Formats: sequence, structure tokens, C-alpha cells
Amino acid sequence: MPAMPAARSGALLYVAVGLLAGAVIALQIAVMRIFAAGNWAHFGSFIVSIAMLGVGISSTVMCVRQPWFARHWRGVASAALLAFGPVAVGANLLAQQLPFNAIFLIADSSQKWRLAANFVLYLLPFMVGSLFLGAVFLETRREFARVYFADLAGCGLCGLAMLGGMWVFTPEYLILVPLALWLLAGVAWAATLASVRLLLGILLCAALAVSAHTWLADTLGLTRLAVSEYKGVSYAERFPDARRVYERATPFGHLEVYASSYLHFAPGLSDNAALNLPEMPENAYLGLYIDGDGPIGILRDLPPAQTAYFDYLPTTLPFALRPKAEVFVVQFGGGLSTAGALRKGATRVTVADGNPAVLAAFRDDDYLKRFTGDLLGQPRVEVVDQDGRVFLSHTARRFDVIDLSLADSAGLSSPGGFAIAEKYNYTREAMETYMRALRDDGVLAVTLWNKEEPPKSVLRLYATMVEAARARGEPALERAFFVVSSYLSTATVLYRPGGFTPEETAVLSARARALSFDEIQVPGVHPDTSGLAAEMAAYRAQLFGARGDAPAGEDGEAFGAEGGEAPAVMPSVLLARAAWQALLVGDWPAFAREYVYDLHALSNQRPYFAAYLRPSDLPRVLDRLDQLQDEWGYVLVWATLAIACCAGAVLVALPAVFGWRGLLARCPGKLGTLAYFACLGAGYIMVEVVLISHFVLALSNATVSATVLITGMLVFSGLGSLVADRLLDRAAQVLPVVFVAIAVLLITYGLALDHALAWVGTLPYGWRLPCCFLLILPPAFLMGMPMPMGMTWLARLGKEQMFLWAWGVNGCLSVIGAALVPLLATSFGLGSALVLAGALYLLALPAFRALLRPMTPA
Amino acid sequence: MENQHLKRRSLLTGVAAVAAATALPRVARAAIATPFSFDLEPPLVDRAEFVEWMAKNRGEDRAFLEQRYDRLQAMVERNDVWDDAVKRAFMLTPREAFVQKINRSHSYDHNFLDIGYGVTISGPHLVGRMTNSLDLKLGDKVLEIGTGSGYQSAVLAHLTDKVWSIEIIKPLAERTRGTYDQLIAAGYDEFKAIQTKSDDGYYGWEEFAPFDKIIVTCGIDHVPPPLLKQLTPNGVMLVPVGPPGAQRVLKIVKGIEADGSTRIARTDIYNGRIVPFVPFRKLDGDRISGTHNG
Repeated sequence: MPAMPAARSGALLYVAVGLLAGAVIALQIAVMRIFAAGNWAHFGSFIVSIAMLGVGISSTVMCVRQPWFARHWRGVASAALLAFGPVAVGANLLAQQLPFNAIFLIADSSQKWRLAANFVLYLLPFMVGSLFLGAVFLETRREFARVYFADLAGCGLCGLAMLGGMWVFTPEYLILVPLALWLLAGVAWAATLASVRLLLGILLCAALAVSAHTWLADTLGLTRLAVSEYKGVSYAERFPDARRVYERATPFGHLEVYASSYLHFAPGLSDNAALNLPEMPENAYLGLYIDGDGPIGILRDLPPAQTAYFDYLPTTLPFALRPKAEVFVVQFGGGLSTAGALRKGATRVTVADGNPAVLAAFRDDDYLKRFTGDLLGQPRVEVVDQDGRVFLSHTARRFDVIDLSLADSAGLSSPGGFAIAEKYNYTREAMETYMRALRDDGVLAVTLWNKEEPPKSVLRLYATMVEAARARGEPALERAFFVVSSYLSTATVLYRPGGFTPEETAVLSARARALSFDEIQVPGVHPDTSGLAAEMAAYRAQLFGARGDAPAGEDGEAFGAEGGEAPAVMPSVLLARAAWQALLVGDWPAFAREYVYDLHALSNQRPYFAAYLRPSDLPRVLDRLDQLQDEWGYVLVWATLAIACCAGAVLVALPAVFGWRGLLARCPGKLGTLAYFACLGAGYIMVEVVLISHFVLALSNATVSATVLITGMLVFSGLGSLVADRLLDRAAQVLPVVFVAIAVLLITYGLALDHALAWVGTLPYGWRLPCCFLLILPPAFLMGMPMPMGMTWLARLGKEQMFLWAWGVNGCLSVIGAALVPLLATSFGLGSALVLAGALYLLALPAFRALLRPMTPA
Repeated sequence: MENQHLKRRSLLTGVAAVAAATALPRVARAAIATPFSFDLEPPLVDRAEFVEWMAKNRGEDRAFLEQRYDRLQAMVERNDVWDDAVKRAFMLTPREAFVQKINRSHSYDHNFLDIGYGVTISGPHLVGRMTNSLDLKLGDKVLEIGTGSGYQSAVLAHLTDKVWSIEIIKPLAERTRGTYDQLIAAGYDEFKAIQTKSDDGYYGWEEFAPFDKIIVTCGIDHVPPPLLKQLTPNGVMLVPVGPPGAQRVLKIVKGIEADGSTRIARTDIYNGRIVPFVPFRKLDGDRISGTHNG
């Protein structure tokens, strides 16, 4: 066996390990971005999660054939390194030629095979990458802590490089960033081994990989990024007069703006507009698409006569009460709310948006400025360069109208379903912030799509807003809300502190009736909700009833069939009215318990318009998943968990089957050792994933949050592993203290982090980043220590086979842990995942003692 | 305008129909012994009798006819169709001619199917329910926004002789026009009643307005006012809302009050219920032996 690397080549080896580990994580991010742009983001997470099992496969193979790999580690590492780039490009190109269509997953069995092919293809580069890392780890096992530091720090810093890459490359070419990192890794590796042949090899492979992705793909007509025909942007591209007028690659999404006379926007428009308006504006819109999703409407600067239709939009209702208002628009989006407020006579409109790329487009692009009449540059408009929620939380200013309209949503069908995404703008805490920022007679107007049947998002919104008003001690709760909706269109909630006066209520009611909106909650009105129990039962039967049960009316008549007259009040309208009665004066917990979906209010701990299905109901709907297409994101997480558990069990079991009676037989404490690395694998990834979700609260953007977390966690953990290297001999004494400290920190974070992050969010952005890094530092630093300590001790005790097995178990449990987080977060809150991770680290403490048991003599 | 349309139609016939001819199943190329008329009454009580009658009079494929019959039974059982005229329209429409070749064996599955361009052909149950909810009478003028596969208008053409259909995606509009023309050439005279164009359906088809019934099948964030304007008093408009597979169908009735004012009422053709589908039962003789749906 070759000697350990000398100091200089040792340093280069660490660089090679760091860069290749970074290339692997950059590839992971690239694949997710490719899916976000061409397909749907949650399918990207699904595929990447499963593909990460490649780490488990490689380590299992190496574990079973450990002596061979130990002998040929240089060859294996070099071959794997050379292959990584071409395999990554080849797998990606092939996968893009085999796109699967999410909406036909149930209807078309071939789609399942395409999905499976995507798994297998994307698995390959991760397997190859981990073969390299595994071979190096095996060789350097006795000084694992330092290599592990290189691995973690490389991942963290390359994650940062990837963020930079997103400013330069569109998703189609983003794979070039991991390729560049891989090339650098290859050069460092060739230098480590002082091999010119290897250097030439890596240069040749790099040329091959890059030209395959660029020149060869063009020559052969291969698709680099297959965009689903069902993505919003695909429809825009097919309009006969469509042309793209703006495109920008940013970490905040791939922004595209299309112009076409076929685009029309008037979300929630009253049907009465048709009877009163001479015309709707023509050729008046652009469509904004972020990662191919949309459109978000952008309105041309129109003469007043052509914007008369604004009077028929639900979002302009508050201006019936406050015509000369100072307005705050929480999310600018495409600017429809802003344009509406200006049209309705607002004296000043302050607009905010958490996506800086959107604001930059409107401020800097000449075409967009001309088209919108420089909306953001108008004298009455002031722009706030941050999330509206965050701005309002620390401003002393007060507003007459605060508008949160249809944020994060294009409102059309979402064939790929909705991802489990944090919606911090809609949480109870956010609502409290908006309510606090109102003048004494101000109005908060929140509009949401009302296109679900049975309704779910709107009911969660109602519960959230009432909870917020109650939390801030609203004295006139029963009079404080006025709610209208339009069937299968939109719902608008108006809140006024201290309650609407009878005169105001009369004005709003008259306006709602003039627009033919359904009045859902009117102060002083108690609608008849006697049919509620029957409707609740009917909704349950609809979702959970036996297939083939005809939906029947009370007298057994089929709904909608001949003779089955439509009821005077639609079931969902009756339900919404009853919900408000229950929220304001009735027994809301009983209502929510009875309802077919989980209706908990959104909070900073559970900020989701997703996961409506209670986990206990999941087995009852497995035969009708086609009805849950808007819950695909949630269902896929369960699927990930199931697949990861099965695959993980096989991968963990294989070495046992092959080696239990052989070398492993002489390794006492096997189960304890496995438990140790399982706890670390699941615990670490859970903390990382949950903190990415949580830190959006302070950083306002998922991409920035992910970058800060990946970089912070991995670099600090790397430093932890470096320190661990010096404490190896005292591991038995140090680790218990480390575990207890980690558990205490995580449990404390689980209980209090959202308050800290909400406070951090109020600071200027330049301060928020160091504060976030400071918050990450203590747990991440400590969490970097147990893994290298455990691994190095396995090596020191001569448990070579256990060494790779442990690494594999750690990898498999990472996948399981990552899938567990959204399930825990949606059911019990983000903090619960941190608490569980803390508990796992505590469990690892006794397991470490098992790991330390010496080998039995042969 | 109509002349222009007809000219373009004949042009398209030359191009798209030739392309479509190779893609259409045997059913569409067979000779039609008995042309369609509104008093055509295929026997619907007995499966074998239906298949025999259709094979003899319409020259269609027996396997598809059997599947069509079975699907109708499931739709009737589920109350997706309840009117005899709609049942007859469904049974006279060769759905397989409007499905892409790759999916043809699934023509009579419950599911919606991909037809390219990011467009689906709705499942038979939804088409049945929508058609029945329109309450179409012979002579009614009906406008469809979103021709898609052409199947919905094809069913409607068995209920009225005045059907207009607009498709926004030009190549799809041309392909579907080709399908109609090919079917017409094969003897399906009823499809002559369908006028099509590729245009922005948002503005309706002013030239032929008003319409008694309008079906809108394209995604939009509001009901287009021009379409409501082109609806006759007491006219009905249907708008599917939501993702394919979990769609609700909004029914809008432009009612006239006693005082002459207009009142627009929104309901749902399922009265607020998405209906779990009935698996397509395979009939083995008279016995149900399983389902066609996985």
C-alpha cells in the first residue's frame, strides 16, 4: 500500500477532495435547477434525493470488496475522477432526451419508466463521484478528520461558487459550473500524484464533456433542457405573435418576459364587467415567467378609459372605503396591484418584493420601463428593496391600505402540482405585522385564489387571519372582517382594526353585490349554516368514499343529473360562511377536526399552503392519487421516504449479508456502530434542510438561504472536524460533552429560532448575513466533530470494512432524514425537526461506546 | 370572412388532412354505409346489437365499439350522461380518431390523455358531463374556445348543426382541422357543421355571435367579458378550472330577471364535487372481470 501523502501533495489531495466534493454538490444544485426550469422543482428534489443513494451504492460495493479497493485505491480514484465529468454530462443529456410528464404519472404507465430512467441516469454521476471520495477516504482513513474537513469546506465554498454561476448561466448551461470545479479537482489530483498522463487525461475528458454538452448536442439536435409542454412558458412560446422581450439568469430564478396579444390578465374579474364595460384593453400585457412558471401579468401604461375594468377587480375593494389612501403593496409581482392602487387614487404607493431580480427588471430594463410607463419610477411610487413583510416589521410608518394579492401564484392550473414551499408572507406572525402597520382606520386586503374544491387554502387563510387578530387583542373581532369570494375564482379578506363601522359595511356590501361577489363574512350578519353537517359528510364521501359511489343529494338523487337542481348556495360558499361563524363566535377546533383536510393556521413554524391531507388519511387515498394532483409535492416526499427507506435497508443489509460471518464477525458493537452513523446521517441533514427552510424567514429568499446554510453549515462543520482531529485521543471524554451541547442547542433552536430569525429579518441585509452565520456557527461547528471522530476510531481499531459501511449508512440516512423534514415540518412545525435531530444526537452518545469496542482477535 | 375561412379550410385540407390520413385509425377510413342524420338511432340497449349495427352502418372497428359501449355504461352508472341524445352522440363519435396514435388503445380509458402542445383530451366522463350540462338542442349555436383534439366539438356536432370552435395554438388547430376533414372525406358528414379557426378565443367569434352555449377549455384567470357578451340571454357557459385530473367545471348562466336585468349565476356541474371515477369495467360476456384502468 502506498505511503500516506507527503505534506505538499497532501495539501493538494485535500484541495482535490474539496473541489470534487464541491463539484458533486454543485451538480446536485444544477440538477435541481434544471428540473425547476424544465419540469417542476419538487420533481427535481425527488430525483436528486434518490440519486444521492448513489453514495450508498458506491460505499456498499466498496465495503463488500474492501480489500480489492484498498489495493487499487489510486486506480479507482483516478478512473472515477476522470469519468465524473463525461458521466455527468452524458447522464444529463440522456435524461433530457427522456423527459417524463408529471401530469400523466397516473394515467400513463410509461411515465413511471421515464421517471425511473431519470433516477438511474442521475444516480450514475453521484455514484462515480462517491467512488472517488470513498477510495480516498479509505486510503486516508487514519487521518480522516482532515480529509473530511476538506470535503465539507469544499462543498460549502463550491456551493457559494454555484450561486455566482447562477448569475452567469441559464439553467440549460448551469452544469458547466460543476464541470469547471471537477476540472480543477482533476488538475489538483494529477498534481497530487505528479502524473502528467493523468493531467492530459483530465484535460481530454473535460474537452469531451464540455463539447458534448455544447457542440455535440447542437450537432445531433439533442435537447439540453427539455421544458415540459405543460409549463406556462411553453404556452407563451406557442402564441403566434409571441416574442421574448427580457431574459435574465439569476439565483432568484430564470426570468423571462414574453410579449403577445394573446395574454390577458384580470384576476378575479367580476362577471358584471361584461355587462358594463364597452371594451377590455387589447394587446395590453406582458407575461412574466420565473423558471418557466407563470404567467404573472405585467400591464401596459394605459389611458384611464382602458383601465376602467380595475373597478371590477376584487383587489380594488378597499379603495371603496379609502379613496385617497397611502398604500403598501407587500409583493409587487407584475405590478397589477400597484397599477390598480394608482388608478384608484392612492396618494402614495410603497411597493416591496422579496425577489430583487423582479424589481431590477422593472427598474433597469428599457423595454419594461417603456411598456409600464416606468411604473416603479413614478412620483407617487416608492420602492422598498426587501420583502414587504420584513419591511413592515421594523418600520414606524403606518398605511391606509396594505395589499397582499395573489402573491407567488399565477392562478392558472398547476399541472405539476405545488411544492411544499414556505409562504412566510401568509403566516400568523406576518398577518400580525401587517395589522400592526395599519393606521387606526386602515384596511388590510388579502386576496387568494379560490379554485379548490373542497376548499382548503382559503380556509387556512381565514383561520390564520383570525388567529392573528385575536393574538393582537382585536377588541371588535366580530366586526373586524369583511370577506367576499367568487366561485372558483378568488377570495378577498378585508380586515379593519377596531371593526368596520355600519356605514363602511354598507358601502362594502353594496359594492360586493354590484360586482356579484358572494358575501362570505359580513359584520352583523349571521347566515344560515344548518346544512353544514351534510356538506361536511358529502366532502368526506367525495374524497374517501368508495369508488363508483354516485354523489347523491339528500334524497338520493345524483347531483347535477337530470332533475337534480343546483342548490341556492354552493357547498363551498356555505362551508366558508360556516367557517367564519366558527372562527369568530363558534367552535373552530371542532369545525377543523370534522373537515376533510387539515386546516391549521399558517405560522412561522408551519408556513405551508400544502400538505392538506392528514398523514393518517394517506392510506385511504392511495387508489385515487389522480385527484390529488395539486398535492404532488407532498405525495412525492412520502414516495421519496418510502423509496429511500427500502433502498437504504437493502444497501445497509448487503454488507451484512456478505460479511457478517467473515471480517465483520470480528467487529463487536456492529449494531451500535450502525446506529451511531445512522443518527449522525439523519440528524445532520435534518438540521441542514430545516434551517434552509427556516432561514428564509430572515433572508427572504430560498436561494440565498440555501447558499448561506450550505456554505455556513459545511464550512463550520469542516472546522469542527479539523478541531476534532486534535481531540481524537480524548474522544471518549469529549464526545459526550459535544453530543449534549448539540442536543441542547438544537432543542433550543427548535423552540426559539423563529423569534430570533424574525428579529434578524428586521436588520439591514448586510447585517443579516453575518447574524445568520453566527446563528449557524455553534451547532454546525460541533456537528462537524462526531463523524470524523467515529470514522477515525473505526480505522484506528482496524474495522476497515465497518469504515465504508458506516459511510454508506450515513449517506442512506441522509436521504431519509431529508425526506422526513418536510413531513415533520408540515405536521408538527419546523422546530420539531430540530428537536428530533437533537434527540438523534443524544442517541448517538451511547452508540459511540459500542463503536469503541476493540476488534476480537482472529 | 366565411369565404376566407372556407378557402383556408380547403387549403388546409390539402396539407393537414393528408398528414392526418396516415395517423387516423381504420375506423375513419372505412366507408360509411349510413350517413349521419339527427334521427339516426343506433341500438343502445344491447352491446352486441350496438356493435353489429355500428360495424354495418358506420364501418367502425368492433374492438373500439365494444370499449365505447362499456365506457358509456360506466358513464350512465355514474350519472355523467343522463340524456338519451347525449348518449347517442357519445356512441356515434369515434373518440379513437381524436386520440394520438400512441394512446389509441387507451381511447376509452377514464383518463385524460396527452395530445401534444401541452394540451390534453379530456376523459370521456368529463366530456359527457359537460355535454349533458350544456343542454344543447338541435339548432342551438355553440362556440368552443380551445378546439384541442376536436373531440368535444365532434360530440356536439351530433346534437346541433351549428358548432364553431377556436384554437389558439396554430399547428394544433391545423392538425385537428385535418382530422375533421379526413373524417368528412370518409363519410362523417356531421362534422361539416363544425367551423374552426386558429385565433385568440378571448374575443369569441363576433361574426357569428350570439351563441346559445359556450365551452371554454383554456386556462385563464377570469371569465372573458367578450364571451359573456356573446352569450344569448339564458345562455350557458362552461369553464373547466384547475389542473387536469382534478378539474371543477364552472357553469355560468346568463339569466334574465323579471325586471329585464341580467343576472350571472356561477355553479358547478358537479355541484361542488369532484367525482371519483368509475373504473372501466371489462365485460367478459355479461360478467364484470376487472378493470382496464391500472
